[in-house]
Amino acid sequence: MLWLYLHFPYLLLEHFSQSDPEPRPMALISGKPAKVLQANPLAAAKGVAPGQSVQTATALMPDLQLIPADLTEQQRILRQQAVWLYRHVARITLYAPDGILTEAGSLCRLHGGLEGLWKTLESELDRRNLTAWLACGHTPKAARLLARTRQGQCTDDRQVLKQSLRSIPVEHAELDPKATERLQRMGLQSLGRIFQLPDRELARRLGPETCLGLQKLVGTAADPQKEWSPPAHFHRRLDFAEDVEHTSGLLFPLQRALQELEEELRWRQHSTDTLEIQLHHRVESATDLPLRSTAPEHRASAFLALLRLKLERLELISPVIGATLQVERFISRHTPAGDDLFGESDSGRDEAWQHLLSRLQTRLGDGALRALSVQDDHRPEQACQYQSIDTAKTGAAMTRHALPRRPLWFLKAPQPLVHMPLEWLAGPERISAGWWDGERIQRDYYIARLHSGQTGWLFRDVTGGWFIHGWFG
Amino acid sequence: MSNIIDTLINDARVWQARQQKQTSAPAESTGFALLDEHLPGQGWPRGALIECMPEALGIGELQLLLPAIKRLTGTRQAVFWIDPPHIPYAPALARAGVDLNRIIQVSTQSRQDHLWTLENCLRSSATGLVIAWPDQMKRSDIRRIQLAAESGDSLCILFRDARHADNSSPAALRLKLAASDPQHIQTDILKRRGGWPVQALKIPITPVVTIPDTTTAQVIQGPWPEQRH
Repeated sequence: MLWLYLHFPYLLLEHFSQSDPEPRPMALISGKPAKVLQANPLAAAKGVAPGQSVQTATALMPDLQLIPADLTEQQRILRQQAVWLYRHVARITLYAPDGILTEAGSLCRLHGGLEGLWKTLESELDRRNLTAWLACGHTPKAARLLARTRQGQCTDDRQVLKQSLRSIPVEHAELDPKATERLQRMGLQSLGRIFQLPDRELARRLGPETCLGLQKLVGTAADPQKEWSPPAHFHRRLDFAEDVEHTSGLLFPLQRALQELEEELRWRQHSTDTLEIQLHHRVESATDLPLRSTAPEHRASAFLALLRLKLERLELISPVIGATLQVERFISRHTPAGDDLFGESDSGRDEAWQHLLSRLQTRLGDGALRALSVQDDHRPEQACQYQSIDTAKTGAAMTRHALPRRPLWFLKAPQPLVHMPLEWLAGPERISAGWWDGERIQRDYYIARLHSGQTGWLFRDVTGGWFIHGWFG
Repeated sequence: MSNIIDTLINDARVWQARQQKQTSAPAESTGFALLDEHLPGQGWPRGALIECMPEALGIGELQLLLPAIKRLTGTRQAVFWIDPPHIPYAPALARAGVDLNRIIQVSTQSRQDHLWTLENCLRSSATGLVIAWPDQMKRSDIRRIQLAAESGDSLCILFRDARHADNSSPAALRLKLAASDPQHIQTDILKRRGGWPVQALKIPITPVVTIPDTTTAQVIQGPWPEQRH
């Protein structure tokens, strides 16, 4: 078996700079008192170096962004890398906080040889502006050690791999610190020297644990790996190195996340109609920004247009330090059928229609768009029902001719009739219903022409009052 | 002399103003022959703004649009009602043969939203007809909508108060509607492309009640018995 290990030396720094439209100097700090752990190239160019105190670093570079090293945060970011990696490789094991192990042997044919896989991964890393040290190995441990010491080579030649493994210094072999010290004192500085020693002697002198570790390294002992499986939903977290105070500043990072979503959806052959975006603030609880499209969609540009509408109307309660994009609802895609050669078809129009409804709904709110439907009820108020456009389905249970004569305009609340009408045209039509659900009505309806020339739908209720309930527009 | 003129006319070498109805401006038939005859392109002009100014509601103003609505929804084109003054009553529309699936009522909160919605509806290829009841409109707003209407290929009808009839407007077609007898609606064409205004067209509409019910009058006149169950 051949293993491939990816070591991400600057994962946190690169994660933060992904959300920035242009690079800026950053440094990772940790410890008490805080010290610089890592510096990105821009900061390093000005002399910021690992081990410096924060004071020194900021004195060298006043506009340096300081990012606290957070291990749990880094694990989450590592999982995000595993998600895209999963599209290219099959078996993934996470080595928190900064490494991912994959099994490469079975994928060589798919990618056209090991070089093909290597190149694919490198170009994907490049596209994401990520640095990773790659290494092959015949055991998981060997691949990891080679990657971490940056001696990775794109080869599956046993001899070459073994040779580079032999040259690794003992202190980088991730053995127990005590054992490492003992080996160094014995004068065994590289792994090659240790491999020459018999196992029995090593076990006696260094303990069975260390011996097992070495056996796993060369492959004489089994090293089972815990496989990672991708989550069922899409989750992307963005962190901003600098607080974002205007909604326009959110567009760039979110656009990136949406593009990743598009890739993910394309890869899954799915669409979605609900995005959950959360904006995180320093103190206040997160702002929810649900994004809905009326039809399943997978293109980032479509979501971006909706997002832009949403952000235009949003007032930030306080600066934003990060955002999450989450999608839990996936809908499988249908291929549009019945397109003729010129794309003139119902499906094209349907798409424009869904697109328009999404736009309107996003800007005007959920309740602003309503579809009409006819209900089988004698009461005028109940006979016409509003529906939200998502649920609107054909309610054409009744035939046209079964419907009674009704006005085109229906008044939300009946208006009292002031003057007697000029001419009575039809009536009475008695409607007495609703005793079963507490909204009882008992009315006699007439159609009449008023002095103003309007034709109205009037009724007289049990109290004897006359009301206008509709206009024949 | 008259012989020469006849020859010229027969050879179609002279254009007569009478022939203007044959212009090829894209239009959607109104469904009323008399109205079609007076409109350029023989119907509601597409990609242009139409203003209707009824003097009151309930004089048959929607009846004028019904044939077009019915035809457009039948071909799966959307009909938007933006901020109507009352509820467009679904049973009546269904009875008239309108496909309710393509009818959307939009309610907006502000003038900006109203204009934005109008423009977006007009620019979409899915839209067949937009009917809007704007609250108040500046001349520049109407101009904006006229431009949006021109960019699309749909019908746009604005219902405005009759008091705006005297103001000038960039709309391509302006109609003033008034009540007439029950079988007609009186239409004044205040402005149209390629023609002079037309006064007092009496367009026959389907009366609400076909045969006046003679018994109705008797039933209503009498005082109603107070004893009700």
